Amino acid sequence: MTKRIGIPRGLLFYNFFLLWSSFFESLGMEVISTAETNKGILDKGASKVVDEACLPVKVFYGHVAELAERELDYIFVPRMVSIEKGAYICPKIIGIPDMVKANITAKPAYLAPNLNMREKESHDQFLKEIAANMGKPLIQVQKAWRSAMKVQQKYELDLLQGIYPEKVFLKRETLEHNGDLNILLLGHEYNLYDDYINMGIRKKLKQMGCNLMTVNQVPKYVQQLESRVLSRRMFWTYGKSLLGTARYFRELPGSKGVILLTSFGCGIDSIVGNMIIRYLGKMKIPYLNITLDEHTGEAGINTRIEAFIDLLRWRRELDEDNISTYGKYLGSPQRYAGIYGS
Amino acid sequence: MGNTWVALKGMLEYMGLDVVVPPPSSKHTLNLGVQHAPEFACLPLKINLGNFIEAKQLGADTILMAGGVGPCRFGLYGQLEKEILVDMGYEYESLMIEPPDVSVWQFIKRVKRIVGPVSWWRVIQGIRFGYHKACLVDELEKLVQEIRPREYVQGTADKIFAHSLLTIDRAKNIPDLYDAFGLAKQKLLHIPQDTTKPVLKIGLVGEIYTLLEPFASLDIEKKLGYLGAHVTRSLYLSEWIESHLLIGIFRRKAKISFCDFANPFLNHFVGGHGQETIGAAASFALQGYEGIVQVAPLTCMPEIVAHTIFPRVSEYYGIPILTIYVDEQSGEAGIGTRLEAFVDLLQRKVESKTQCG
Ligand code: SF4
Ligand code: SF4
Repeated sequence: MTKRIGIPRGLLFYNFFLLWSSFFESLGMEVISTAETNKGILDKGASKVVDEACLPVKVFYGHVAELAERELDYIFVPRMVSIEKGAYICPKIIGIPDMVKANITAKPAYLAPNLNMREKESHDQFLKEIAANMGKPLIQVQKAWRSAMKVQQKYELDLLQGIYPEKVFLKRETLEHNGDLNILLLGHEYNLYDDYINMGIRKKLKQMGCNLMTVNQVPKYVQQLESRVLSRRMFWTYGKSLLGTARYFRELPGSKGVILLTSFGCGIDSIVGNMIIRYLGKMKIPYLNITLDEHTGEAGINTRIEAFIDLLRWRRELDEDNISTYGKYLGSPQRYAGIYGS
Repeated sequence: MGNTWVALKGMLEYMGLDVVVPPPSSKHTLNLGVQHAPEFACLPLKINLGNFIEAKQLGADTILMAGGVGPCRFGLYGQLEKEILVDMGYEYESLMIEPPDVSVWQFIKRVKRIVGPVSWWRVIQGIRFGYHKACLVDELEKLVQEIRPREYVQGTADKIFAHSLLTIDRAKNIPDLYDAFGLAKQKLLHIPQDTTKPVLKIGLVGEIYTLLEPFASLDIEKKLGYLGAHVTRSLYLSEWIESHLLIGIFRRKAKISFCDFANPFLNHFVGGHGQETIGAAASFALQGYEGIVQVAPLTCMPEIVAHTIFPRVSEYYGIPILTIYVDEQSGEAGIGTRLEAFVDLLQRKVESKTQCG
């Protein structure tokens, strides 16, 4: 009988779902994921976890709770400690397997291997744990992983070109880019792409005629380089990409603004977000900071977004009277040249 | 942070530096911090920033701060504080001590770079001296924790302790230090106590800053003491110095760490003291403590992880656990009532046990 594994649609799902699902599929398993987040899922999640947890964690709990009642063999809740050398993800994401185990008793078994690439960039340990857990030969698991990595690379390339995850997973059309304002939407992937959490902000912005850009459209090495302005190493992978992207954005031509989507109670956003705001202020790029939690009202957010967009358009008109300061492209292609080579 | 300054100041003065200790954290400090720090930052950052601003106003030109390399926010405090202070127009030199993942030698080297031209010997002696102070202060503090619930006149022990901190601070060499310590200990031991009174044992666990800085935790420790509980913390300053800075140089004996006890519940470190919190709670439970109080800054990530896992620990060991989050808005009264209710619950539990047994 084919084994069935459930993957909750929350947290790093939007980063790695394709990798995981094609990995398990090539191991001959059936992959089941939850529906898109809705009120029921959030409420269910919020009722199982302490109030102080951040919204994405509550949503994740909701998705796990959905899977917990189904007839499955496993629920996949990996412990993603670190996905690159010298960096971590987030304390809560590191702790999440133990957190859900403590609060949600599930019929299926939890499959929670450790992925820690802080010391060494290798998946060996992670794959060994999976192999041992499912009683499969390691060679087969490694092979499946290699083929899944190819799918993941393709996915990351797609994202880089501005294709959205839902088009990839759900085959759903997204609105085209044709606006007159460039908006950088900064946030963790689970805030950007979960339209319930962010109240459909991408659609709203596009309807108002904005071009959207997200962290996924800036290559990793550029982010890495840009985030080096700090005198100390930024050790949060996502913090680094937020900061790097924000700094890179200043070089783009056209009129532009930044919208920061932060989760209420998120430790990373509270620090990195503040640094970003300080930089944006110095670079004179207008920004809007939206904090998401389960009580955020949609109406209020709409007004704030509209006001922000109006402000941007108004500023542009002022600028056009003078000679446009945004006209010339400030970056030089040489800047990143060394990185290409290495 | 709590009594940390005694040790640090001892260390640096021994090396021949002028030390400006910011006034003890107060409402004023916190207000300064809150004004300039990001709204959702954790409490320690806000107080810390306030401390720096106050130190600056007293004329300090170099700031010593501790950093780290994650995964928690603490590691980025230094960076953000620097940005904030620069934006405020303060110029200063900042020096960071980054405890985890550096060896003792690197640490000493850093200290040397900070203090400039002094002999290695003096540096090592200085660190040792500071550490000694920390150990003795801790020993006194443990005694105070024991006396608090039993003394006839509430607050006597605390008064003596506050005074002895000053004398210990004044000690400039090891013999003086021991004199001061001995005297303080004698005084504490002579406080009239009610030895027949039943006393609850409560373990206090949680985030390091709120554990060590009474201002941050709104004196939870003292309050519990006065409510009739002998409080033991999961963490004392000297232990922290030992485990983070001095591993294997002055004392080689490795202690079993709390992490071992965390095992079935939380198998991985989560930054900050999340895993220690779980482990310490489990180990207190095994030692027969009656209850656990967890204290943490609001939005503290590792402690939220620990908090979510606590129900399992509590069920497994049958020990009540109370979690208290503090931030700049928490009120004394609210926390007081919650502590009272918790102590009541424990007392009733103990009574019903003795009646049945
Ligand atoms: S990064 Fe922030 S939002 Fe995400 S899980 Fe961690 S605390 Fe929550
Ligand atoms: S452990 Fe908690 S209080 Fe300390 S830096 Fe991390 S989030 Fe803040």
